Amino acid sequence: MMQSLGGKGRKIVLAGVLLVLLALLAYVVLRSGPLAPVGVTVAEVKKQTVAPALFGIGTVEARAIHKIGPTAPGRLLRVEVQVGDTVKAGELLAEMEPLDLESRQRAQAAAVQRSRANVQSAEAQVQEVAVRKAYAQTQAKRYEQLLAAQSTSEELLALKQQEAQAMSASASAAQANLEAARQELQRLQHEQEALAQQRSNLRLVSPVSGRVIQRSADAGTTMVAGQAVVEIVEEGALWVHARFDQQRAQGLKAGLAAQVALRSLGGAPVAGQVVRVEPRADAVTEEVLAKVEFKTEKLPSIGELAEVTVALPAQQERPVVGSASLQRVGGQLGVWVVEEGGHRFAPVVPGVSDLDGRTQILEGLQGGETVVLYSEKALDSGSRIHVVERLVKPAAGTAK
Amino acid sequence: MAEIQSSTLRNGVRLEGVRKRYGQGDTAVDALKGVDMSVSPGEVVGLIGPSGSGKSTLLKCLGAVIEPTAGRMTVGEDTIYDDGWKIKDLRALRRDKIGFVFQAPYLIPFLDVLDNVALMPMLAGVPNAEARKRAMEMLQALDVSHRARGMPSQLSGGEQQRVAIARALVNRPPVILADEPTAPLDSERALSVIRILNQMALQFHTAIIVVTHDEKIIPTFRRIYHIRDGKTHEEAGEGREIA
Amino acid sequence: MISLAGKDILHSWGKFILTGVGLGLLIGVTLTMAGVYRGMVDDAKVLLDNSGADLWVVQQDTQGPYAESSSLYDDTYRSVQGTEGVARVANVTYLTMQVRRVSAAGALTGREVRAMVVGVSPEGPGAPGYPRFLIDGRHISRSHYEAVADIASGFALGDRIKIRRNIYTVVGLTRRMVSSGGDPMVFIPIKDAQQAQFLKDNDAIVHQRERTAQNPMVNRPGTPGVLDAVIAIQGSNPYVNAVLVQLEPQADPQAVAETLRRWKRLSVYTRLQMEDILIAKLIATSARQIGMFLVILAVVSAAIVAFIIYTLTMGKIREIAVLKLIGTKNTTIASMILQQAIGLGLIGFAVGKIASTFWAPFFPKYVLLIPEDSLRGLVAVVVICVLASILAIRAALKVDPAEAIGG
Repeated sequence: MMQSLGGKGRKIVLAGVLLVLLALLAYVVLRSGPLAPVGVTVAEVKKQTVAPALFGIGTVEARAIHKIGPTAPGRLLRVEVQVGDTVKAGELLAEMEPLDLESRQRAQAAAVQRSRANVQSAEAQVQEVAVRKAYAQTQAKRYEQLLAAQSTSEELLALKQQEAQAMSASASAAQANLEAARQELQRLQHEQEALAQQRSNLRLVSPVSGRVIQRSADAGTTMVAGQAVVEIVEEGALWVHARFDQQRAQGLKAGLAAQVALRSLGGAPVAGQVVRVEPRADAVTEEVLAKVEFKTEKLPSIGELAEVTVALPAQQERPVVGSASLQRVGGQLGVWVVEEGGHRFAPVVPGVSDLDGRTQILEGLQGGETVVLYSEKALDSGSRIHVVERLVKPAAGTAK
Repeated sequence: MAEIQSSTLRNGVRLEGVRKRYGQGDTAVDALKGVDMSVSPGEVVGLIGPSGSGKSTLLKCLGAVIEPTAGRMTVGEDTIYDDGWKIKDLRALRRDKIGFVFQAPYLIPFLDVLDNVALMPMLAGVPNAEARKRAMEMLQALDVSHRARGMPSQLSGGEQQRVAIARALVNRPPVILADEPTAPLDSERALSVIRILNQMALQFHTAIIVVTHDEKIIPTFRRIYHIRDGKTHEEAGEGREIA
Repeated sequence: MISLAGKDILHSWGKFILTGVGLGLLIGVTLTMAGVYRGMVDDAKVLLDNSGADLWVVQQDTQGPYAESSSLYDDTYRSVQGTEGVARVANVTYLTMQVRRVSAAGALTGREVRAMVVGVSPEGPGAPGYPRFLIDGRHISRSHYEAVADIASGFALGDRIKIRRNIYTVVGLTRRMVSSGGDPMVFIPIKDAQQAQFLKDNDAIVHQRERTAQNPMVNRPGTPGVLDAVIAIQGSNPYVNAVLVQLEPQADPQAVAETLRRWKRLSVYTRLQMEDILIAKLIATSARQIGMFLVILAVVSAAIVAFIIYTLTMGKIREIAVLKLIGTKNTTIASMILQQAIGLGLIGFAVGKIASTFWAPFFPKYVLLIPEDSLRGLVAVVVICVLASILAIRAALKVDPAEAIGG
């Protein structure tokens, strides 16, 4: 093969091959496996403000849903509206069957009439008794005069006086009777009004102007008291019922500005505001609840999912690290600080962070230190580190 | 020539009554049945015989490769065998006292020509530089020094054979055993080899035994040993001059 | 004396190097197989290390959450948190499922990735269950729809991925966060993960609602709100797979575990117990499978190495005979063969180590090449070469120099 080169040439080539082999072997042993240093990227700790934000998801809800239904059990006579219809306040939505109510009203009317007649007769009776009373009293007086003139007996006078008194009593009784008849009339009239009210209750009208969002029953259905037939929502009165993790929800209060991303709008955020933070949080899911209003042209559907980002007030300047720098070593949370002689673990107390992972450090760093951001392996104090630009090649076509 | 022939056999080769029996009992075969030979330093004798006559057995005994059954062998000043090996280190014997030349050169293919020859003194413990120096001298004597740094595969057959002869001679052994050294060669080259052997024998006072049946070179021997059925008898050869 | 072994190697260096490379590839395969085995065991260990937990609290009488399925109410953690010795707790869910990248328009693109979806509580980095380090991006900051993925999943920062019903944006990347089976992990907020694990698909939900509505016990006319309440309960997902516990520095894991077991009626495992469960039970069969193959491979490799060295020697048998004839010492010949065998072995080992290091990252699961294995491999290669050369030397020394002299 290499005869032409002669002994020396051959020696050189062979030595070359062996040297290359040895070099590769040394490279392989030192640069890979446990003997190799750990590649890391570092970042400088700068003093910065962060603009923390809260992120939560929620559903679009109506501010008020008016569930219209009968107050008494009955049967549905007709429903006038469909889902999606716009209604005005006072408009008839549905009506219950009156069933026996009309008969009862008629009965009641008859009773009232009868009662009126009773009152009339009581009044007549009062009149009659009054007349007789007047007569008896007149008679009593006359006989008093006659007795004074000794034209009559004392018995007759007593009789006439007794008659006068009896008539007086009768007059009171008749008056009382009249009162009773009048009260009875009133009572029956009130009952009549009650039936009328019940009758009007059978008419289900819309309390507000808005849109029908649900129609739960059709004509002929038997309903119980409190069962909704139609649900109405005021036009445009929507908000997002949002849920935020309790642990991260410090600072959430009414009035904060928010960005609301609705699925129906393709996730493009619209401006909004936190209306209120619910006083009662969800103990099971450990979330704080809040209502966030928003303004859009095209109204989303009720129940649609939305993502809410609430901007919290910016914090003052403090040393900031990326969230990837925070690690827990030996039970303590901290960062790896890279110094001249090597690296050491510095425990820190973290403060707030923004949604891009930039975390403020309250204690443990001054600013200006160089800390490890990304590493190929979990570090410990004995590792050898080796600082590089990037650990991951950028993906083709993206520039994140 | 005559003077040399009659000198004492102090540095030559001598065999007396050498026997070799293979096997035992009824199946025993006597390959050698009492062989007597003697070759003086500077002499080139032929050993001729048909196959199966025992000539390779004789060569192997002489070369201390196999052990004879009985007899006496003397190489140079040493009695190497007298009804039993008298030399402990046969390998050293072969290295220092006996040179081999074969039909084929049998050079080590991964050593260059110089190292092929220099290997012999190196094996004897001579330092490398000195060994190579001696090897170069021998190559010059055989007129192949210009090929010293080449690999054996680059040489012609004749050149290779000359290198082989150089290797056999470089330790100045008292005896060289040549087994059919000219068999593959044409008459010109064959005679050339024999001429070289004669030259070397004289130059280095070496006794050379050439086993052959090559008709081309047999006439050149002054003395010939015929071997048949395990026995030798001596004959005078033609002793023809080589051109 | 010149080096016969050296001269021979120099003369046919090409054959020598090629043989060394061939041997090296075989050795590399064996080293890699050992790496595959170690990688499997490491996957299990790394899973436990990365969870950052000292204790695992799971459903009673199960060996979850990795080896068996386990379901706990998600408020169990409150009572665990109050136990003495406990520093931090976190709910966690694990579910292995298919995850797929989606385009900006929401269409599925690319291939499906089998990943272990981990639901982590919103405490932030340093909490149990969170990835301990990142190689790019940041940790999850929003309570929904963000994910941190292991780079083995093939996802990049900014990718949108679909897990069950929702689409998540990859905001951070990490490394070596894998399940015990080697599947890459994807971390998402726990509420989303609970929904992914426990909430069924839309068709099933609709059927469930219909079935519930047909049930006269809950759908009575006199009680209008009951049906909605029951459906709402059915749609809630108050379960998690485990509670991870980090202990105070001076707490004794065994003691705290025992307290939790006895008083809270839960199964609790320490780190050692989890290791035993994972390694002895979960991966034992696969590990044995690979272990057996490794043994066979090593034996075959040894045989081939021996065969190659033997053949190399036998190819020189004529030269050996001549050398013996011209007076070469047996030890010289033996040392030539031995030197060549060991040289071949060393070249083979170097090639094998280099090759296995370079091709290990391309394996779909983790291959862990440790120096101890390489050292063992080196020793084994040298020993095999020596033994093989002994065989060859014996054959060489038996050669009769008389054969060099023809019959």
